[in-house]
Amino acid sequence: MNNEHETKEIMKNIFFEVFPNLDKNDFSWEKEQKNYENWDSFAQLNLITFAEAKFNISLTLEESIEIKSANDLLKIVKQYLG
Amino acid sequence: MNLIDFLRRSVENYGEKIAVIDNEKNLTFIQLYEEIKKFSNNIKILNEEKIISLVSENSISFIIAYLGIINSGKIVHLISPEISEINLFNQLKSSKSKNIICNQVIKNKISNYNSIKITILDIEKILLKQNNKKIQYNINDLAYLIYTSGTTSEPKGVTVSHSMIEFTTKNIVKVLGYSNLDIDLLPLPLNHSFGLGCLHTSLYVGSTLVLLKNPSNLEQILKSLKKYKITTLAAIPATLTKILNFENKNLENYFSEIRLIITNSTAIPQKTVIQFKEILKKGNLATYYGLTEASRSTFMIFDKNNQREESVGKCSPNVEIKIVNEEKNNLKIGDIFIKGDNVIKKYWNNTEADKNIFHNWLKTGDTGYFDKEGYLFLKGRSDEIINVGGEKVMPIEIEQIIRNISGVEDVVAFGIEHKIFGQTIKINVIKSKNSDIDKSQILSYCIKNLEKFKIPSKIDFVEKIPKTDYGKVKRFMLK
Repeated sequence: MNNEHETKEIMKNIFFEVFPNLDKNDFSWEKEQKNYENWDSFAQLNLITFAEAKFNISLTLEESIEIKSANDLLKIVKQYLG
Repeated sequence: MNLIDFLRRSVENYGEKIAVIDNEKNLTFIQLYEEIKKFSNNIKILNEEKIISLVSENSISFIIAYLGIINSGKIVHLISPEISEINLFNQLKSSKSKNIICNQVIKNKISNYNSIKITILDIEKILLKQNNKKIQYNINDLAYLIYTSGTTSEPKGVTVSHSMIEFTTKNIVKVLGYSNLDIDLLPLPLNHSFGLGCLHTSLYVGSTLVLLKNPSNLEQILKSLKKYKITTLAAIPATLTKILNFENKNLENYFSEIRLIITNSTAIPQKTVIQFKEILKKGNLATYYGLTEASRSTFMIFDKNNQREESVGKCSPNVEIKIVNEEKNNLKIGDIFIKGDNVIKKYWNNTEADKNIFHNWLKTGDTGYFDKEGYLFLKGRSDEIINVGGEKVMPIEIEQIIRNISGVEDVVAFGIEHKIFGQTIKINVIKSKNSDIDKSQILSYCIKNLEKFKIPSKIDFVEKIPKTDYGKVKRFMLK
């Protein structure tokens, strides 16, 4: 099982993969969807697919809709990882 | 010319030459013709019947029976030995065939099918009969009936005429340069348009045809290349890709005398094309696009100077192809229509399917586009389009990208229901031997090479992808 530091690193990398133009200095856990240039519904789907693949989990539709920031996704993933 | 004229031509020109080799057996053109005439006479008992069904694996007996039935003036209904009881029942019902000819092993199998009530005859027993009567037959305009393989829908009966065969065979010879000097290796079932086209070509030019029964026996294919000094090989893309993975050393040696490998238009991985371009020192890899309804409608020769590894080539001589879309623009993706003497006039007892043929144009159900130089690129079937939140995605595009990932042996993409998007994309992936690739590596590659809406939302690693004998994915089994 990943420890919290590892989980956060993996999560950050997911964001950098899905948003290749995202500057490392521009990433923040609280930054909201509306402040991302390319975070549309397809990017949302990509983020969830990546998280599911990386952590071997499966999010519900309700959980998927709630995600508005990196922190939201991190919280849900941590719940699955216990 | 009909198919029997093809054979007579080779009997006259190359009578004593070996026409066909099946393991340790072989027949010259003269011997083959004599056996065919004998077979025709011996099935005269079936004279009242217009159609005779033939079920057999690749063998000399198959060729004798196939041509013997045609020579007797009847239509051959070709059936795969792998056919299920329900499909056999449906095909017999549709074709109205009253007799099946097959070998003893298949006869034993079919005899156990409770739903099959018609006469089943043994090929070998027919061949052993002595009947020296000379009977004159009138060759039927139609040569054979094949039910299409059903990759997306229920099978449809396709009747192929002698004039279609003549037209197509002459195009094959003209474009691919077959001659009596060739020795052709055929590890493809003869109950399909691809394999049959190769048989017809060999009969027409007077080359020697070497039959193999099992397209998966790569060792036998490679050994046969050397043993028989093969000059042309016909194989589906999956076989070619497996050969590259099976035998990395000495491949150039095995293929040193090959002047042509012909494959078909089932998506061939770009890396397979590139590798075979390197391996073939004296020859070329070629592909074609065609359907049983419109055989060999394009040809593509992947020569060293042509970088269009994903194209199926240009229209065959005297074949027209048009792309139908809202823009009426051949350069944009649309439905592919084909017109030419290789196209069927109608389906067998199927008025619904006949609606796909209008003013001699066949609606193929495939989609694609031409580039500015007239090379055709296939993009999949119109009924396979995945609609992701209003964005249209062709599975073939996803598959082509993912096949390029090291560690992926094969992949199929298809739509799955999604409450928000309507559909999203799922992929089933077969890993290469010893590959430890994981889902996130595949996603990373997709992110770099595909638009956002084309990224699969679900990935499963599987052992097998359901396919027809000819390597086409049975997509209806994935839904």
